[in-house]
Amino acid sequence: MSRSSRVVAEARAAYKSFVRRRVAVFFTFFFPILLIVIFAGLVRTGGGGTGLFSQPPGYYVPAYLAVVVLFTPLSRVGSEVARFREGNRFEKLAASPMRRWEWLVAQTAVNTALIALACAALLALLAATGAQFRLSPWLVPFVLTGSVLFCGIGAVLGALADSQDGAITASNGVALPLLFLSNTFLSPASLPAWFRPVTDLSPLSYFAYGVRAATYPGNHAGWPGSVGADYAVLCVLAVVAFALGAWLIPWTER
Amino acid sequence: MAPVVVAEDVHERYGDTVALDGVSLAVEAGEVFALIGPNGAGKTTLTRCLTGTRTPDGGRVELLGDPPADAAKERLGLLPQDFDPPDRLTARELVAYYAGLYDDARDPADLLRTVGMDPAVDTWYGDLSGGEQRRTCVAASLANDPDVLFVDEPTTGIDPAGRRALWDVFEDLADAGTTVFLTTHYMAEAERLADRVGLLADGALVATGTPADLIADYGGEQYLAVETDADAASLPDLGYEVTRAGDELRVVGVPPEAIGDVAAELDANGVPFDALSWTEPDLEDVYLRLAEDPSAAETDDVEVVA
Repeated sequence: MSRSSRVVAEARAAYKSFVRRRVAVFFTFFFPILLIVIFAGLVRTGGGGTGLFSQPPGYYVPAYLAVVVLFTPLSRVGSEVARFREGNRFEKLAASPMRRWEWLVAQTAVNTALIALACAALLALLAATGAQFRLSPWLVPFVLTGSVLFCGIGAVLGALADSQDGAITASNGVALPLLFLSNTFLSPASLPAWFRPVTDLSPLSYFAYGVRAATYPGNHAGWPGSVGADYAVLCVLAVVAFALGAWLIPWTER
Repeated sequence: MAPVVVAEDVHERYGDTVALDGVSLAVEAGEVFALIGPNGAGKTTLTRCLTGTRTPDGGRVELLGDPPADAAKERLGLLPQDFDPPDRLTARELVAYYAGLYDDARDPADLLRTVGMDPAVDTWYGDLSGGEQRRTCVAASLANDPDVLFVDEPTTGIDPAGRRALWDVFEDLADAGTTVFLTTHYMAEAERLADRVGLLADGALVATGTPADLIADYGGEQYLAVETDADAASLPDLGYEVTRAGDELRVVGVPPEAIGDVAAELDANGVPFDALSWTEPDLEDVYLRLAEDPSAAETDDVEVVA
């Protein structure tokens, strides 16, 4: 009971802090929508070939979702960890009954809820642009687990960065390569053959493989080869990332 | 009664820098202990070691009878140095947030009233004045009605009125039996609030004692300052030592009841002067003397703990 009330207190404060920051709200909800308006609405994907946006719009559902699932938790949790450290908030929390993993659970819960909301809005907008994709039930666990995974990685980046600016720079430095080299906006065929195995090292690849297979049937690519297996890998990665992130949070000086 | 905060021979280093050099102290239940010392003396490091947010390199620390990491956090309150809480929450939301971390917490509105804040004010923390922000932070640190409260420079950066308002809060807490461990740069704050004061210099606790004892032993003597151009040698025999300090002569050791006699003697001997002012030593004199020369403490009879 007390543990859940601590998580609720932290989550409530985190949610209020988020919705009162216009820039954070913009980048979580409107920036991805802007991408869709530009690329799915104006540029009109699906021209054929192997280049950027050469596939039909439905192919890019995991890419648009990844923009939110990847960027939001990486930058938000990363900068939040740095902000808490710089403001000595962790020092105060360490002197309370709260535990570091409870804090990360609260932050993850808020991020996951916001990401789910943003993803729902993205899917609705994509459908409105005429993109053909299947509304699979798999979307829910993939989005939720992907959020947990990248919240954990965001916590790691925030813990390793030396400032808020450093955390944001690090999250962008990690997110941008991941976004474009994880079978999201670029199809595997557009990458050199020798490089394709490298994409399997990206945790985002399993999100992209699984979501694409679930929403755009007949287009599964890469290892391990099924939606369930992709999800299993994503779950393992999420658990590892969350545990590592919670462990690294600078709760005490050492 | 067993002390609630204990440090024994605590050592801590930051690389090659010695932050704490064998600090030992004990704070009794219900006591207000003020830690003073120059910037970089190790005050915040010691506070962090005592609260368990930093593990010292050596020595033993106990908080409420346990190592700080295992201490009952429900009984501990902390206001860290340079604390910067979420700025997009109102004062009430902020206090409610920290109260939500405890099973048995005080009512946020009541806490805000305790520190002289209006709980109905719907202003974000970031838009409050500096004094209101510090009062809100103090309220947040009291959310669990702590038995032991650590406050690290709680009144830094706020105006005198706000500072005095917080002093009243700390005095009320002390009267109610809360143990308060205070670090401060304001000697008047330490002198007014503390039962005992510890002076930390270069990582070593140079001396501890009541403010009165420390002043008596290290503050030097009271003196009468005479603003005059006259030489000390030209003065009549006043029965006290006379020294020059800048544009004044200091008649050292003059008790307040003898000020009139000294003034009359100066007049009677035609010594011109513009003003007289009598100065009593205070904790600031102790601080200036011991922080500058910590070895001065070792030959005196006040409890020496370094």
